[in-house]
Amino acid sequence: MTGPALLIVEDEGPSLRALTDYLAHRGYVAYEAATAQEAMRQWDAHRPDLVLLDLGLPDLDGVEIIRRIRREATTPIIILSAREDERDKIGGLEAGADDYLTKPFAMDELNARIRAVLRRAGGPDADSEGRLRLGPIELDAVKREVRVSGEQVRLTPREYELLKVMLSSQGRVLTKGRLLRAVWGLAYAEESTYLHVYVNRLRRKLSAAAPAASLEGLIETEPGIGYRIADHDSLSAMPPSGTEASR
Amino acid sequence: MGGRLPGLKGMALVAATITGALIAASGAIALLAPLGVTHAAPVYLLAVVAVGMRWGTIPAVVTSVAAFLAYDFLFVQPLYTFTVNSPEEWLNLLLLLAVAVAIGRLVALQAEHAEEVAQRAREAQALFGISRALVETRTVEEAAPIVLERLAAAAAMDRIWFGLGATPTEEKTIADTAPGQPLPVPAWQVVLQRSPGNEPARWVRMHVATAMVRRKADRATVHRVRVEASGEALGSVWALRARDEREPDRAETRILSAAADQLGQAIVRDRAGLERTNAEIARRGEALKTALLDSVSHDLRTPLATIRAAAGSMLDESVAWTPADQREAFQAIDTEAERMGRLVRNLLDLSRIEGGALKPELEPCDLEDLVAQVVKRAGAATNKHVRVEGAESLPPVLADQLYLSQVLANLLENAIRHGGQAIRIRASQLPDGLVEISVEDNGPGVSKAALPHLFEKFYQAGPSGEGKRRGMGIGMTVVEGLTRAMHGEVAAGRSDLGGLRVDVRLRPALVPDEAPGPAAAGPAEADVSAPAERTAP
Repeated sequence: MTGPALLIVEDEGPSLRALTDYLAHRGYVAYEAATAQEAMRQWDAHRPDLVLLDLGLPDLDGVEIIRRIRREATTPIIILSAREDERDKIGGLEAGADDYLTKPFAMDELNARIRAVLRRAGGPDADSEGRLRLGPIELDAVKREVRVSGEQVRLTPREYELLKVMLSSQGRVLTKGRLLRAVWGLAYAEESTYLHVYVNRLRRKLSAAAPAASLEGLIETEPGIGYRIADHDSLSAMPPSGTEASR
Repeated sequence: MGGRLPGLKGMALVAATITGALIAASGAIALLAPLGVTHAAPVYLLAVVAVGMRWGTIPAVVTSVAAFLAYDFLFVQPLYTFTVNSPEEWLNLLLLLAVAVAIGRLVALQAEHAEEVAQRAREAQALFGISRALVETRTVEEAAPIVLERLAAAAAMDRIWFGLGATPTEEKTIADTAPGQPLPVPAWQVVLQRSPGNEPARWVRMHVATAMVRRKADRATVHRVRVEASGEALGSVWALRARDEREPDRAETRILSAAADQLGQAIVRDRAGLERTNAEIARRGEALKTALLDSVSHDLRTPLATIRAAAGSMLDESVAWTPADQREAFQAIDTEAERMGRLVRNLLDLSRIEGGALKPELEPCDLEDLVAQVVKRAGAATNKHVRVEGAESLPPVLADQLYLSQVLANLLENAIRHGGQAIRIRASQLPDGLVEISVEDNGPGVSKAALPHLFEKFYQAGPSGEGKRRGMGIGMTVVEGLTRAMHGEVAAGRSDLGGLRVDVRLRPALVPDEAPGPAAAGPAEADVSAPAERTAP
């Protein structure tokens, strides 16, 4: 059987070879590219299901590749970065990448991320009635209601917007800038303290509404970058909170 | 000059004017009486005008009175007495006196005004000169000698010096118009008291506590003008006038005070400049540190990523690996670990080079062997063709085995990373006896403008602005540092293969048993033996 097709863009020969070998053995169809030009050629020829992209390429900034792909498709993109500097990753995520991994990373981690973004790419986040669901959380965009395990949660308009943006991006990493722009508008793009306060309040309100439901890992902080939103599978994969775990 | 009371000199001057007036009167008699001129008054007025212009108001008034008396004595009936008979003559006389006083005063004022204007112009010029000196120099220390020279001339001082410090005892003299001579120990200090607002400054005489001064106090009076900026005491301008004891006049005071202000501003400016420079140095240092950390982290993570990918793959039990796959993975792990090792070694070497802590163990090294080893290790990671020429027929070089391996490995890695497909290592002996090892490639090479910077720390040659920075930019710096430590030299240029060519030149080892090799006939450098050469057998 042929699995999903991956395009691996990485200019470090040994790394590229190790990744391609491994992913091919895991059942993916692996296409490889060591330069941006080659990457675009492979993209045009094969339209893979997912792109693993090292941002530092010899001929062109990787962010440019993300932009080009995003003009044509919503294909998930995972950034591979060897840089300590978060600006690269933020730039890539803002340009439309879905997730990132910092080198060196474990193969398990890579597998998990690939699976998560492929899953998310499978279906729409909202159902036909405008409801967004994630684990026990249900957001009804028509009634502007939020329920956790059936219990209604009272959210301020900002908190509601924030949750809505997050639930629309399940299994992805959202940068602070992107969240701020989406909820507060352009003028607030730098005010990350706001965001921190609101996210914490949102986390608290959601878990307080249904202490029995496990919301661990729903919104994970990615230091310096933003927040990672769990997807349905990863949230239900968490151990269900037992009686002593209810806070 | 106007308002000052005449001193002894002034009294002499007055006496002179009276005498002058009398002589003028006698002259008038001699000239006018025989000619029948009865009204000699204009002649006297002329004398008053002359005195007023030359010496100012008071002498002019005195001359007027003298002229009045002389006129009375000589021309008013009865002659040769001070008695006046007719009331008309009284009127005439009084009018003459009034006119003489008025004209004398006016003329004197005019002269004083002209003098004042000239004085102001001189002051302005002196101040301008001082400002320019302060602007044209970079620091107050540099400007101070020029400023003091001008100030001494403008304020008619014999010696001026400038001390920096919060209090006179803490002051350090940074400029002196009579450098080298001991500073006077005055009994008195005259300090300029400047009050805020428009109140004129005044000099206040202060006794100097001589208890702290061992030497007998000098007679001289020293003038001190405090140098301040925004209320902070920065130092003082000291002025000494040995010629006379008089207090500086208004103009001199003004210029001393203005110069002190300018010096104060200049000190503030210097400080701000220094702060900016320090801030800039700190900022650049910080930026460099960030760049280094970023590079180091990138360069160490890259091979580490491959190692983890290869090792992680092998550990995944859901995948059935063939022995060939396994071998390839282990090879990748080994090669990348070697690369990391070299990076770490480069970093350590760089810090040793910078700290001057390199201790090469120079011994004869066989090039053929060493080059082969380096090529073998580097070649495993590349499919590029490395050709080695000429290494077999050369004398051993004087080198530290580890350093030379590192130098060649860095050059080779550089050629592999940036070069094209063909790499050539060529060794030969130069006419001056040095052994040259050239590493060349057919890659894009390094632009002529970039060549001189190739060995600079953190320098990244190649297309800038696009794509990622390649490598830390320390490999070449280490090449140069290590080569120099082995008393060798390194040069970069264009290869006839098309890419970069780096030449490492080392001294051949002197092997005592053999006939003097080319090294013995070599140039003088070979004789400038570094102590390390003695370790060579």
